[in-house]
Amino acid sequence: MPQTTIYAAPRSAGPQTTPPAVATVELARLFGRNAALAGVSLRVETGRTVALLGPNGAGKTTLLRILATAIRPSFGSAAVDGIDVAAAPELIRPRVAYLSHATGLYDDLTADENLRFAATMLGRPDAIDAARHALHEVGLAPVARDRVRGFSAGMRRRLALGRLLLSSARLVLLDEPHAALDAEGMALVDRLLGRWREAATTVLVASHQAERVMKLADGWARMDGGLLVEAGGQGVSAIPPAALQAPATAAAAVER
Amino acid sequence: MTALRADAAVAWAIARKDALAELRGRQAVGSTLFFAGLVLLLFGFALGPDSRRLTEAAPGLLWLAIVFGGLLTVARLHQLEADDGALEELARYPVARRAIYLGKALAGLGAMLVLGGLLLPVVAILYGIDLAGAWLPLIATLVLGAIGFAAVGTFYAGVTVRMRAREVMLPLLMLPVIAPLLLAAVKATTAALGGDPFGELGSWLQLLAGFDVVMLVAGAATYGYLLEE
Repeated sequence: MPQTTIYAAPRSAGPQTTPPAVATVELARLFGRNAALAGVSLRVETGRTVALLGPNGAGKTTLLRILATAIRPSFGSAAVDGIDVAAAPELIRPRVAYLSHATGLYDDLTADENLRFAATMLGRPDAIDAARHALHEVGLAPVARDRVRGFSAGMRRRLALGRLLLSSARLVLLDEPHAALDAEGMALVDRLLGRWREAATTVLVASHQAERVMKLADGWARMDGGLLVEAGGQGVSAIPPAALQAPATAAAAVER
Repeated sequence: MTALRADAAVAWAIARKDALAELRGRQAVGSTLFFAGLVLLLFGFALGPDSRRLTEAAPGLLWLAIVFGGLLTVARLHQLEADDGALEELARYPVARRAIYLGKALAGLGAMLVLGGLLLPVVAILYGIDLAGAWLPLIATLVLGAIGFAAVGTFYAGVTVRMRAREVMLPLLMLPVIAPLLLAAVKATTAALGGDPFGELGSWLQLLAGFDVVMLVAGAATYGYLLEE
């Protein structure tokens, strides 16, 4: 793993011509009295692929869900392309594609119908062709007319990946994309990661497959206990955990 | 105009998706219809064999059966979204929140119209009611009542979909709100079946239409907040 090299607060990063793809400042999220995120400050440059590493409960999923506008932060701020995710989620949604743990598919619809629905919701005028193409890309064309109810976990994952391909988002968030996939499916994820990298799409990928993801990533960030403990490589920077700095409003609130 | 067209396309896509899922889950549709029919039958048993009494009570019993069946329907339409994170996915699409609400309400309206349309002849047979000559006002009442029910039901199904006790909470929250709708729908149905001797049908239909507009506007304006976790 590369050495940690950069520690720079997003607020003091100096003049920028374009805002970073992702910038969070002391980002915290509480669930009841538990802090899933306890003050994360992270900066990811546009076009970079960054691996989010860390054990279960580190806060990776919560960070991705906030950036995807699925949940709101409790404290701190998060911005995508300079736009605050909490203040203007409607501007963020077209810019972000998110693969979550849950596939978000409809069991009683076929694979093709699921993707056509997603394409329509994404405003694609070519919904039918786009869905067909995406199904082909993820290797599900032969079962396009089968209902999702009968799909294995791996096939559902592939279909969710196909849905990502319908989006023209500039930021792709992947939460354990290799989970439930066989060797061929994992190779598909690697291929897509490579394609997004070539297209200068920013990708944040949370994974326990550290070695596999690191081969495809420009940089990495390691989280633990809701804090960002270190970051390295290219295109990603962090400041030390807010809990170690004063005054840290988020961390103080969490402690209260 | 473009925004309206985009909203309409989104609402239609959601309603179509819900209708497909609902039709394919035949077990659920069949059991809802069976349940509503059973309610009508049991009400008939409870009121006894007095045919005049049954005829007088028929409009109220019809709407109670529609309400009970409708509660199951709107809850199921939202349950579709709760499975495997579909609601979160739906909420993250870059579309207007009002369009999502209108799509779900449209699906609910379709299901309610089918339910009401099938229960009307059942009521006629069970309670010995002559529907001839009353079709037009009955259809108008059913459509306006179904719109209001779908508008309120979609909102409250959205409120309760993430709750553990949603099966209990949905009727608990929704029934008091639809009381005016139930009253107006029963009165309008009674007037329609009785030939509207006092000319009150129009007023009840106006009340239903007003209720529908208020609930649709309120639902469309606030549903987006329900999608936030």
